[in-house]
Order: sequence, then C-alpha cells, then structure tokens
Amino acid sequence: MKIKTLSRPVDEYTRERSQDLQVVFHNFDPSLRPMEKAVEYKRALTAAKLEKIFARPFVGAMDGHRDGVSCMAKNPNYLKGIFSASMDGDIRLWDISSRRTVCQFPGHQGAVRGLTVSTDGNVLVSCGTDCTVRLWKVPRPTLEDSSVSSENFIEPAAEYVWKNAFWAVDHQFEGELFATAGAQLEIWNHNRASPVQSFQWGTDSVISVRFNPGEPDILATSASDRSITIYDLRMSSAARRIIMMTKTNSIAWNPMEPMNLTAANEDGSCYSFDGRKMDEAKCVHKDHVSAVMDIDFSPTGREFVTGSYDRSVRIFPYNGGHSREIYHTKRMQRVFCVKYSCDATYVLSGSDDTNLRLWKAKASEQLGVILPREQKKHEYNEAVKNRYKHLPEVKRIVRHRHLPKPIYKALGIIRTVNDSKRRKEDRRRAHSAPGTIVTKPLRQRRIIKEVE
Amino acid sequence: MGEKRRSTSKTLGKNKRRKGPHLPNSILKTIANEKRPLNSDEEDDEIDSDDAIVDLYEYEEGVPEEESRKNNRYDPVVNYNYELPEDFEDENVESDDDDEGGNSDNEEGEGDDVVRHTRMLQAVTGMPSAAFDGESKRKPVLFTEAYPESEFNPTRDVLEGKGLLTIDELMAPIEGKPGFNELEKRISRMQKDAQAVVHAPLPKPERERLERKAVKGLVDKEFNKWVHMVKRNREAPTVYFNQNVSLGYSTVGAIASEFQPRTDFEKKMASVLNDNELGEAHDEDGAKLLELNEVSVEDQIKYRDHIAKMRSLLFRHELKSKRIKKIKSKTYHRLKGKDLKKSAMGALMDPEMAKEEAMKQEARRVEERMTLKHKNTGKWAKRMISRGLNVKYDGTRAAISEQLQINATLSRKMNSTNDGSSSDESDDEEELNDGSDQDTPSKLIAKAREKTLKTVEDDEVPNSGLLSLPFMARAMKKKNEEAIEGGKRALEEYEEWENSGGEENPKKTAVVSGRRVFGATAKVEAPKESRKDSDNFYDNSDSDNDTEGIENNDLGAVRDTASPARNTGAITETEKFDDDVENPASKTTFDVALFASGSWKKMKGCQNAETKKKLKKHVPYSKGQDKKESRDDESEDSESEAEEMVDGILTSASKETYEIPSQAELIQRAFAGDDVVDEFEKEKQEVLNQEVPEPEKPVLVPGWGQWTNIQKKRGLPSWMVREHEDAKKKRTLDLKTRKDARLRHVIISEKVDKKVEKLHTTTLPFPYTSKEVFEHSMRMPIGPEFNPATIVGSLNRPEVVKRAGVIIKPLKFEEANPNEKVDDEHPRSNQKQNPKKGGKTGKGQSKGKSKQKTKA
Repeated sequence: MKIKTLSRPVDEYTRERSQDLQVVFHNFDPSLRPMEKAVEYKRALTAAKLEKIFARPFVGAMDGHRDGVSCMAKNPNYLKGIFSASMDGDIRLWDISSRRTVCQFPGHQGAVRGLTVSTDGNVLVSCGTDCTVRLWKVPRPTLEDSSVSSENFIEPAAEYVWKNAFWAVDHQFEGELFATAGAQLEIWNHNRASPVQSFQWGTDSVISVRFNPGEPDILATSASDRSITIYDLRMSSAARRIIMMTKTNSIAWNPMEPMNLTAANEDGSCYSFDGRKMDEAKCVHKDHVSAVMDIDFSPTGREFVTGSYDRSVRIFPYNGGHSREIYHTKRMQRVFCVKYSCDATYVLSGSDDTNLRLWKAKASEQLGVILPREQKKHEYNEAVKNRYKHLPEVKRIVRHRHLPKPIYKALGIIRTVNDSKRRKEDRRRAHSAPGTIVTKPLRQRRIIKEVE
Repeated sequence: MGEKRRSTSKTLGKNKRRKGPHLPNSILKTIANEKRPLNSDEEDDEIDSDDAIVDLYEYEEGVPEEESRKNNRYDPVVNYNYELPEDFEDENVESDDDDEGGNSDNEEGEGDDVVRHTRMLQAVTGMPSAAFDGESKRKPVLFTEAYPESEFNPTRDVLEGKGLLTIDELMAPIEGKPGFNELEKRISRMQKDAQAVVHAPLPKPERERLERKAVKGLVDKEFNKWVHMVKRNREAPTVYFNQNVSLGYSTVGAIASEFQPRTDFEKKMASVLNDNELGEAHDEDGAKLLELNEVSVEDQIKYRDHIAKMRSLLFRHELKSKRIKKIKSKTYHRLKGKDLKKSAMGALMDPEMAKEEAMKQEARRVEERMTLKHKNTGKWAKRMISRGLNVKYDGTRAAISEQLQINATLSRKMNSTNDGSSSDESDDEEELNDGSDQDTPSKLIAKAREKTLKTVEDDEVPNSGLLSLPFMARAMKKKNEEAIEGGKRALEEYEEWENSGGEENPKKTAVVSGRRVFGATAKVEAPKESRKDSDNFYDNSDSDNDTEGIENNDLGAVRDTASPARNTGAITETEKFDDDVENPASKTTFDVALFASGSWKKMKGCQNAETKKKLKKHVPYSKGQDKKESRDDESEDSESEAEEMVDGILTSASKETYEIPSQAELIQRAFAGDDVVDEFEKEKQEVLNQEVPEPEKPVLVPGWGQWTNIQKKRGLPSWMVREHEDAKKKRTLDLKTRKDARLRHVIISEKVDKKVEKLHTTTLPFPYTSKEVFEHSMRMPIGPEFNPATIVGSLNRPEVVKRAGVIIKPLKFEEANPNEKVDDEHPRSNQKQNPKKGGKTGKGQSKGKSKQKTKA
C-alpha cells in the first residue's frame, strides 16, 4: 500500500548558525492573499516616496581651477582619474575618490579647448586657442598619489604647433590617431608633428569632433555652419552631412549602438540620429531651456548626460523624449562640459564657476557595499515602482523635480510659445484647403536638409 | 564664349556709368558729345530702353554753381580733366580695364584683325585665304582675345571644334620617310578602338559628391553589421555589465604561486620544499627517500623513552580518575536510601507505607477532582488549544493527551470508589425521560406512583431564606397539602389504570410527548396556569388567588426531586381531564393548536365535520373557564385569535365550490400590494437625483432686494433666472446622455469614486497599445511574499545590471551566429529571455530594424 505523507526534513528548518535566516515556508496560493495588488501598489507608492527622500545626488565639488572649466576627459583605463582644463590654459588631473588634484600640466598659453586621453590611458592630448597640440604622459596611478597632497607638474611629451586655433580634440578608440577640430578637421598621429590627414567640406570651422567607440575609423563632427558630418578615415572622405537650423555644440556616439549618435544642439534639445538615415532624428530630447553645451553617453548606452548653458545638468534615457533627472545647485554656473564615469555610476560636470562637480548618476542610489538582501530589496522597490509608474499618484511623485526659478519660468515661457504656435498652425490648417499645409514632424522640423 | 564675356563686360561698364559715383556733369556732357558717334547703335538702343523703363528713382545732382559759371569766380577752363590728344593711338594693352575705353579702338581695328587672322591661318595651314573668307563672313561678330593664344587660352575656333588639326595633316609631311608605315599602323590601330578615349575629368565638386556617395554606402554597410547585436541588446530584458571582473586572485593556487618566503622559518621550509634532490626522490620510485631519511640510534632511543613516559603518565591518570569517580558523598547515599525506600518495592514490603501511599493517592485524587488540574483547564493548555497549536505540534499534542490521561486515571478511580446518589438520580431521570415514550404503560404507571409517593412522603420545609418567611411557609403548607391531595388522587388513578390495563393508553402517550412541558400543565390544573405566565409569576402568588405560583416556587426549590414527579403529575391530570370531558382526541388537538405550532398538521389530520362541531362546542366552554380564571388579557386575546383563525381555515378548507385560481392570478394575489415597477422607478429617480442633482432654486438672501414693492415686483434678477435655467438645461442634457437614459429597467451608476480613480490612468500609457495588455502587465504580483524565491530575482531584475567600480568597455563586434538564438554570455537570463523573444519575433522584429536588414 502506498501512503502519501507530508514530510519536511529537519535540515530544512534548522539553521547552521544563529545569525542565519530562519527558513519560512510560504503557501503561494493566491486565494490566501487576496490583497496582493493593493499591497504592491502601496509599496510602489512608498518606494517612490523613499526615492525622493533619499535623493541626494551631489557628492562633492573639485575646486582648483582659476577660470571656467572648458573641457574634461576621463581616463578610459582608470576609474578615479579625471582630467580637466580651464580657459586660462590650466590642465589638471583629479583623483575622484579624494577629490583632489593629483598633478598639473602647465604649458598652454591660451584657453584649452580640447582634452582627450588614449584608450590605454597613457597619453593625454590637449589643444587650445594657442594653436598648439600637446601630448602629455599620464603619470601611473600609485597609492602615494592619493595620500600626498603636494602638487607635481608634468612637462609635455610633445608639442605641435599648427596653423590655426583648435576647438576640440578626440582620440580614436584603441588606436594611435586623434582628431582635432579647428578651421578644418585634422587627423594626427602621436608621433608626427603635423596632421596625417585633413578634411574640409565647406569653409566654416569645425567645432566638435567625436570618434565612434565601436567603429574606430568613423567619426562625426559638427561645424559652425550648423552641420553635422560623418567621416570615414579609411576612405578619407566624408560620408554624410546634414544642415540643421541651429548649431550643434557637441556630439556623442552611443557606445553600445555604434550606428547611433546624439547631438547636443544650440536650441536646447538633443537629437538622436541613426548614422544611416540622417534626414530624420530618431528621437528629440527636449528639456533644457538654453543651449546644450556638452553631452556624454553612459558606457551602458542606456542614458546620456547633458550640460547646458541654463546652469543645469540633465540625464536623459537614450530613447526618451524627456530627461529623467535634473541636477543643479545655486552656485553652479553655465555648464561647459559633462562626463559620465566609466562605471556608469557617477556624472561629472565642469562649469563656469571654476569647479568640477561630482554627482551620482542615480540620485537615490545607496553607495558603498550593499548586502545581498539589501540589494534584493532595492531591486524589488525599483521593480514595483516601475510597474505602477503610470498610475497618477506614483507618477506625480516620481516625476516631481524642484527647478531653479529661472529654468521654471523659462519652461513656462517656452510652453506658452509652443502652445500659441500650435494654435496658430491649427487655425491656419483649419482655414485652408485640406492638404495644402503640411506640418513636418518634430523629428524633421529642425533639420534643413541632407547634403549629398 | 569670348563674345559673351564681352557683352557682360559692356553691361557692367554701363552699369558702372549709371550707378557709380557720378562724374561732374560737364564731363559727362562732353563725353556724350564726343563719344556718341563712335559708339555702336546697340549702345544707343540700350540707353533708350533704359530711359523708357524708369523704375528707379535716382537723385539728380544739381550742377554746381561754379560749373554753371554763374558767378565767374574762377578762370574759365574748358575741362578739368586731362584730355588725350586727338591723334593719340592706344597701345594694345590687354586688360580688363580697357574694355570700356578701348572699345572704339577694337572696333576700329576689327577689319585689320580679320585680315591678320586670315593671314595667320594661311601661314599655319598653307591654304588659300579664300577658304577662310566664308567663315569670317558668316560670323561677323566681333570678339577680342583677352589673352595671347596658347595651350591655356585656345582660340575660338578650337573651342568650337572647327579648324582642328587632324592626324593626317600632321602625318603628311613625313610620308615616305623611314618608320612612317609603322607609325601609320599604330595610329590606325589606335583609331580603331575609339572607345578607349580618355575623357576630361569631372569637376571637383561633382567628383567629390560621387566619392561621398560611395563612402556613404560603405559606412552604412559598416553600421549595418552591428544591427543584430544592437537588436539583441535592446530586446534583452536585462543587460549585464558586471561579467568579467577580475578581483585579484581567484584561486588558492594563484595566491600560493605568488608566495615569497620572508621569515627564517619560511625560508627554511622553502629550502626543503625546493630541494631538487628531494623532488627527484619523490618523482622516482621513492627508494631514495629512505636513504635520505636517516635516523640516528640516539634519536630513536630518545623517542622511545618519551613515548613510554607519556603512556605511563596516561595510565596513572586514568586510575586516579576512576578512583575519584567511585567516591560518593554522604548526602548522596542518604538520598539514595530514601529513594529506595520510597520505591514500589519498599511499599510492598511495608504495609504502613502502603497505607500512607494510598492516602497520598487519595489526596491527589481529591485535589484533581477539585482543581481539575489535568483537564485542559490550565493556563498553558487553554492557550495551546485556543491557538490550535495542539494540532500543529506533536509535542504539544502529546503533552495535552498525557494530561488528559492523568485526569482520566485519577477520575476513574474516583468513580469507582464513591457511589453518588446524584448520578443514580440522573440515570433514573434519563430512564424516565427516555422511557416515557417507549416503555410499557404499566411500568410507567408504577414508576409514577413511586415518585408521587416519594414526593408526598418527604415534604421538608426550608429553614432559611425567603421560603422560611411566615406567609411563605403558610402558603407552602397549603400548597403541600394540595399537592399531597393531588398525589393521593393520582395514586388512586394509577391503581385504576393498572387494573384497567388500558388500550387507550398508547394513543394518549403518543400524543403526550408534544405537550408534556407546557400545554399539559396549562390544562391539567386548569385553574393554576402555565409556564407562559411565569413572567408575572410572583404577582400572582402575591395576589394569593391561586397557589400555582407557590407550587412552582416550591418546585424550583426542590427541583431535582420534584420535577419528575410534577411532570408525571401533570400527565396524569391531563388524562383525567380528558376523561372527564369525554372527548379526549379533539380536546388534545385543540390544545396543541393553541400552544404548539409545530403540531399543526396533526390537527389537519383529524379534520372532519364532527370534530369541527365538537370544537365549536368546546370553545365557549374553554372561554368560560378562562373568564372564571380571570386571566391576563393578552393570553386571552391570543387564544381567541388563534381559535378564530383555526375556524377560518377550517371553514375555507371545507368549502366545496372552490375553484383553482390561475397561475397569474395566484402570483397577483401573492404579490398584491407591492408595486415593484413603481418602486424601481422611484429608486431610479433617487439615484438620478443623487448623481445629477437638481439645481437649487434661486432665492434671494432675506432682506435683500425686497425693500420696496417695485423691487418685489421685479422679482429675481435676470442673471439668477438665466443661470437656473441653464443649470436645468444642463441637467436634462446630462440625464439624456446617461447610459441608462433609454433603459427603463436598468440603473447604470455613473458615480465616480475618487478613491478608485487614483488607481486608474486617464490614458493608455505609451508603450502599450491595448488596455488588456496594460492590465495584464500588472496582473501577477512580483514580490517575494507572492512568488517562490527561485523566480523573485528574475522578476525584479533591473534593466541594467552593473557594478560600481567596474569599467564598462564599449561594444565589441561579434559575428552573428545563425544557429544560436540565445546568447551564451548570460546563461542566467536565458530562461527569462526566451518567451519574450518569441513574442517579439512573432510581431515582426520591429519594423525599422527589419527593413534595414533587408536593405543590407
């Protein structure tokens, strides 16, 4: 005869140590827990509130420059190192964890406009309005560096003088080349005193250049004739160019999606493009109320950070029309440069007030070592919040951000203007023959044409 | 081309003249006078046309006074400018500047030019000048060459493709010379494949555009190769960035390999470990190890001695501990002895002890009986039972059952020892109760007699309390006497019955069961009434009219013993009464109808004309009785009512001309008086009023606008009236647009619950396309309370899993593997990814992407 019995081995119940968790057996029958949805909704609400409570994104400021910070570069090989340069020609290497200057790179006569580091983290390239390109050897990070406060100065490893002032520089990913932007786009080799390649299309000066991290031979530039151009080094020719209504200040390639790039535009929006179809933006990221000065992608490719002339830093999702986060402080002035740290945990901003600021990428994230249970709890909170984010109460709390007064007012004005424009458009359409007035979608509106 | 350029330069000159800074008018005049005849007709026409079309206002500068020679302040000068002499001949300097001034010269020398040109052609080609005449006549157009003719500035003819030199012409002079044939052959071969003509290169912008087009295609191709990876990343529910992290040493071996001996000991160890000789010995058969392992005799002896010493020490220690273990203290022995005495063996030996034991046992029993300590009455046991823990846990259950066991054993013994009268009594009672229905009448009667006797015999009067009061005592005495009398009577009857051994009895007894408790008593002692009156029991007793109350009271006092007796008494009385009336059956039924609704059917069963009549006869009798008794009004009323009702039903049942009503009629009759439709309408109206409230009637604040008659006449202000009307209109509209406006039998509530509203979105959120999908997305809970721990992690996993402090490198290219659908990189996410992928591919892999793929 077969007898079915319930049996639970003792081992399952007993703990090995007193600190161990007690094993609790649950009956997951949904009929026993009829309120599960209500419970989870409540938890989502609580999680949203907690997130707001714990949102303290500002980690610290790095003080040392004597003029506005014009550009930054992150060391792709060393998390704690960040380079920054200012308008007075001062270049510094910072240790993020101690937030102190490790060393300085004196030499530039005018403002430094471009800064970049080779992928192995050994060579720092800087260029500026003094028509020079300087190469520096980056000191190896040692334990002493962080503790010793004495500032040491480093001599440039090479100095190349050229015909025109430079606006930007970027280093190829895992290569020997770097590109400078000035009167024209020039490609340099570490060991050559003059550019190895030079591109010119039109007569206007190039103001920003960025190499594609996935495709090291493809780079994008923006010029003061409001154009964005993609070049291919192997073909030594440009591939595409579009003209927009306003100038593009900076470009960032998505490191996880090598065909996509996002352009930080003077009109306060960012435009995500597919490198294969430039006649239409894939997404328009609106929120800034003034020109976007710099943009940098998170290494995860899911977010990017922008710094704007409206004195704020925003973080956008790569496919979202509006920012997920805005960072601002009373003392932060016009933001000229932003960087996402290589581990996608921090965001750095350099602004006109001579300071570098370190922010958390997720405002309410708990830093430091997190126990697995804690981690699980955080994950659950996040998941629950994400699930109920569309419901009005949760949505309101999650979306709420305090804005500085100027930005708030500017947003109001922008909204009013847009509304009236739309109204006018509607009326015009209503009073004209159907089909005569065609409105371009927002994604094409600011693009004038694609140049062949 | 040359011509064109010329004409443009002309117009340019003209424009200059017109719009540039003006020359003084006098100069203009002189120029006009002097040059007009020289200029061509064309020029004139143009000027005319200019005059004709005056669409621009030009400021006409007035002639300066000096020049108009009004005041003759200066010496008269013909012309301020230097004028060339008439015979001056311009040098033929070719430049853009002299286009204007040199026009006349060129035109003058046109004829010369033609002659010179023909002459040149003659010289070059060696042909007569007549051959070129036609050409020059056909084209009388004048043109000048700005530059000397050269390979960079070919002549007009060359550009037009006329007068070109041919190869034949070039070949002619060398005809017949050595090598001519070879050259001719080569040339003819070249001419044969005319396709191989090298065209002139395209202009630079055009060329660059083409180049860019090609590059564009290549770049697109380069980008397209990433599509599969990007797609995979985007569709993955979670992307992992924490995979390849090197946190220093991963294995013990790796750590050990890095070890460097530092201290002396470590160094010594290292020297032994790294000894080559030893290593070799290990590697070989091991024979050499023995050789290496030398042991001296002294060492061996020392070692042996040491071991022997240790052993002896151990042995001693063992002995000692054994001895110590044997030693016991005085108290130990004393207690041990006591225990022995106490034990069962000891008890058996000693009778006194046994007695003592028995006493103790008894005491325990008594205690148990008094406290019921082990009958789950303890605090602990109650708690355990109330919480149901005894079911859950084996230990608890066992403990509780043990307690019960103890209780059982103790109480069992108790039962066996004492013979309680009460229990006997109860038994008897039970017997009586049970047997009343089933036992034989004779037995019953016998028992009844016994009881009566008993009650009659023992009539004890309580010495204290209420019953000891004199009047109570008196009343009781009286009552007792009566009871005793009754009892005696009953006894007599019993005897009679016993003698008769009646056939009627079973019938009666059968009926008895229903009314023994109340009906019987009510009737038995007809004057002394029922339990029903127990409320105003004492009043009755006080009024002293009947002794019933006291009897009851008495019964209450000696309940245990008396109650059975009384019951039996009651029964007997009933029987007696029935006999007296000579109509037992009908009488009983009537009573039942009065007091026991449960036996309604019985009455029906015996309905016939006779009984009816008899009943009718009886009614006055019973009434009379009631009146005699001067009972409460209430009871009387109810009785009479009941009687009437009984009458009515009985009569209706007996009607012979009765028609069965139709179904509809029946229903109508059944629901007569409740108008459901009307009620519903009212209800609906109420709901409507609540949800779409009627607008309030406009009223003025008392005292406002009502001061004078005029004001009163004017009534409410118009805006109030208008507003009210608007509100009314709005209400009617609202009512019309309601969902249940046309459904008469339905109320569809349109009330919005604000609390519930919080749980709804106003619109469908962005990524969702249908309501169902959105609702489905939050149907299943994801919390750890609702899901097993194995899947909670995957349910809650965020979109991006990364670790702080780990550098994330950009995407590396991997070839798409057509055979492998799921990425091996993250085996953890496999089971989660599969279903999602399936769903998405079913959709069509997101339009844009698929298009790109086909394009690539």
